Amino acid sequence: MSKDQSDHSRDDITPKIAPKVDRRSFLKGAATGAAALAVNPGAQAQEPSAYQASFTAPSYQQLQRDTGMVAPPTSGRTVVRPGSDLMVQALKDMGIEFVASNNGSSFEGIQESIANYGSPPNHMPEYITALHEESSVDMANGYAKAEGRPMAAMLHGTLGIQHASMSIFQAYHTGTPMILIVGRDESFIQAHTADDMAAMCRSFTKWDAQPKTLPECIDALHEAYRQAVTPPTGPTVIVIDMELQKEEARDFVVPPFRPAEIGGVDHATARDIAKALFDASNPRLNTGMFRTPEGGQAAVQLAELIGASTSTTATGGPMGFPQRHPLCGPGADTTNDYVLGLETDSPNISLQRPAVTSLTAKRDVMGIGFGSLREDYVPSPPGSEPTPQEQNQKQSQGTVLTVDAEASIPLIIAELSKLMTPAKLREIDERKASHARANREAFLTDLRAAVEEKKRGWDLSPVSTARIYAELWPLIMNGDWCLASPSNFSGAHHRELWEHNKPYSFLGSQGAGGMGYGLGASAGAALAARGRGRFVVNIQCDGDFNYAPGALWTACHHELPMLSIMHNNRAWHQEFMFIQYLAGVRGRGTDRGHIGTVLRDPFIDYSKIAQGYGMASEGPIEDPTLLAAALKRGVESVKNGKPYLIDVLTQPR
Amino acid sequence: MRKHVFGTIVLLMGLYATPAAAQLGPVNGDAEAGAQLYYDHGCYACHGFSGYGRKDLNNTGSPWLTNEEIFRAFLRARADVAPLLPSTDMPNYPANSLSDAMVRDIYAYVRSMPDNRPETADVPALRNILEAAEQRQYKP
Ligand SMILES: Cc1ncc(C[n+]2csc(CCOP(=O)(O)OP(=O)(O)O)c2C)c(N)n1
Ligand SMILES: [Mg+2]
Repeated sequence: MSKDQSDHSRDDITPKIAPKVDRRSFLKGAATGAAALAVNPGAQAQEPSAYQASFTAPSYQQLQRDTGMVAPPTSGRTVVRPGSDLMVQALKDMGIEFVASNNGSSFEGIQESIANYGSPPNHMPEYITALHEESSVDMANGYAKAEGRPMAAMLHGTLGIQHASMSIFQAYHTGTPMILIVGRDESFIQAHTADDMAAMCRSFTKWDAQPKTLPECIDALHEAYRQAVTPPTGPTVIVIDMELQKEEARDFVVPPFRPAEIGGVDHATARDIAKALFDASNPRLNTGMFRTPEGGQAAVQLAELIGASTSTTATGGPMGFPQRHPLCGPGADTTNDYVLGLETDSPNISLQRPAVTSLTAKRDVMGIGFGSLREDYVPSPPGSEPTPQEQNQKQSQGTVLTVDAEASIPLIIAELSKLMTPAKLREIDERKASHARANREAFLTDLRAAVEEKKRGWDLSPVSTARIYAELWPLIMNGDWCLASPSNFSGAHHRELWEHNKPYSFLGSQGAGGMGYGLGASAGAALAARGRGRFVVNIQCDGDFNYAPGALWTACHHELPMLSIMHNNRAWHQEFMFIQYLAGVRGRGTDRGHIGTVLRDPFIDYSKIAQGYGMASEGPIEDPTLLAAALKRGVESVKNGKPYLIDVLTQPR
Repeated sequence: MRKHVFGTIVLLMGLYATPAAAQLGPVNGDAEAGAQLYYDHGCYACHGFSGYGRKDLNNTGSPWLTNEEIFRAFLRARADVAPLLPSTDMPNYPANSLSDAMVRDIYAYVRSMPDNRPETADVPALRNILEAAEQRQYKP
């Protein structure tokens, strides 16, 4: 539980101000200023500058608002059962643990209900205080990637949606389920409201609704959840009017939540697949990213039942097959006579749930076109020959059944179990044992090669990115960790050095390559980790950090177990390389590529920023021999539930 | 002109076909000045601050580092929008960007870069990674 929703003593809520500050005179100054404005609204406009003169003077009411003098309405309706209580009850019923939000009066009804509904007052969903809507939605993204189920983010009208839009866009690209609640208040600032609020993000959300009555609203909340988690999974939007939030609900009772029903293959297909697996002398499973953690568990059961060697995407993203499972790897014999694809391709048959691609034709009202997300997306320019890679892909692709693999596996297991004989079981046991030996050897061989490779520049300063991953791994390998940040820019060394055995071991990339995602997503993953004995590792690029650093405060405020280690190359280095290359190609000098691409003059002190937000931190660390001890302190801290940041000056790549 | 440069490279590379240390050409430039140029002209972007990066420079046996002439020809060979050599990674450095003298200094710096790959046995973290992976059993 956060400090917000626990009981406070008087001491806790009294602002802690350094004794030297004369709080009374500070407040007095502010009050006199405001009073002066109230008495004489024209005071400021007495000697207009040329610039000011081109504007009409603000009205008395505008000034009141701008100077924060607007008091809450005295005639606010007092109701016994506000509609927003029922909305919170619906969120509770659906198991929504968190609502991340930056406050806005368009959802004040719901916010007040999250704080006060029930007796004792509500604890779940917990209100997670975000400093930017982009962070709210990135948190929801990180949480859902780790857990395979949605939390909610709450956005303030037109403004909230626009601040959040890139994060929503990215969540859409990865098909991350989340519920976006947008407040709408026609009686408040008109610029914050719109007739069709969700239109602003319709092109990159799966589903939206703007209910007219309270019962409709509760239904829509339920439907928002079901739509978000049903393939194609993705963000859903519900716009909730202030009227509904404040309405007296009287004796209206929240109907029970009916979970989504997600279907798998039909029985005949399940039987055919089971038979093919059974008949094969060396079957294999190609596995991708499942919908929820249960998908990975079901795939493990299937692999063990039939003794199939199995591929994994666990080093590339969440919800994969456990990397060090004895059956995971190339197997003892790599000539496979039947390959079943589960959320990834196979030369024979694969089961792949529909992706958001299938929605864009209907939902892309803005005509974004989406590049890689279009259903008719053609990687090569039209008319050109397909690349060898595309050709290979075509050849390797057998029949694709657009159906959820996770929901299908239990049906296949049931059919397969019916076919088993003692002789087959003996054959399978032998196959499993030889696969396990081969996979272990393959893993260790790759690891030995990787270790040799990661030593490059080990002792040099600034610190090599490989050394960060290598020195961190022994400190966390026996703990319950989650690498929440994207890793490509920091070398992705975990892929070769670490073991990804949990559905949340690695949460993958941003989705659409949008910078600013790392901190928010890590904080969201840490929300999932907190209370589950897990901790989050965030290898944080400096450029990415600076878009929305306020998530650091959220991590402190909600005591999130998040260890951030800066990959501080003091640049938007990716872009530096591009400019550098282009300058070379254009032949006009190569010593000005840093303009607009580096973060120097002055250098940014990330440890100080973290401290400013209230987070324990250290650095910058330039000497690689100091790294291991710092990492140890960081891991200790997050294991005790305290976020920590280590600034490390790194090699650019 | 382009053919000429390409011809020179092929010829020079033929002369120094086996990149053994003994066959490396002499270093004539100033490594310290080269270090500054290496930084100012963004070589570190891909080759790291110390020669390890997307593309290593340290003791790699790269034929392009055989001697100053080859190195210079290599930098110049991309002096156009359509590079002469089939590479899209390495920017070109025409003479108006890096003079011959500057190239000499950068060459000296690159040749001075340390080859830093300690023995695995001497690095506790790496030893630990290998030992743990060998011992650990998979647990769901
Ligand atoms: C929102 C957004 N703005 C700009 C970009 C363009 N961009 C791509 S990579 C990058 C630099 C990233 O810098 P950093 O996160 O520090 O990683 P580095 O390349 O330095 O390792 C930028 C600005 C982007 N992808 N997203
Ligand atoms: Mg950077």
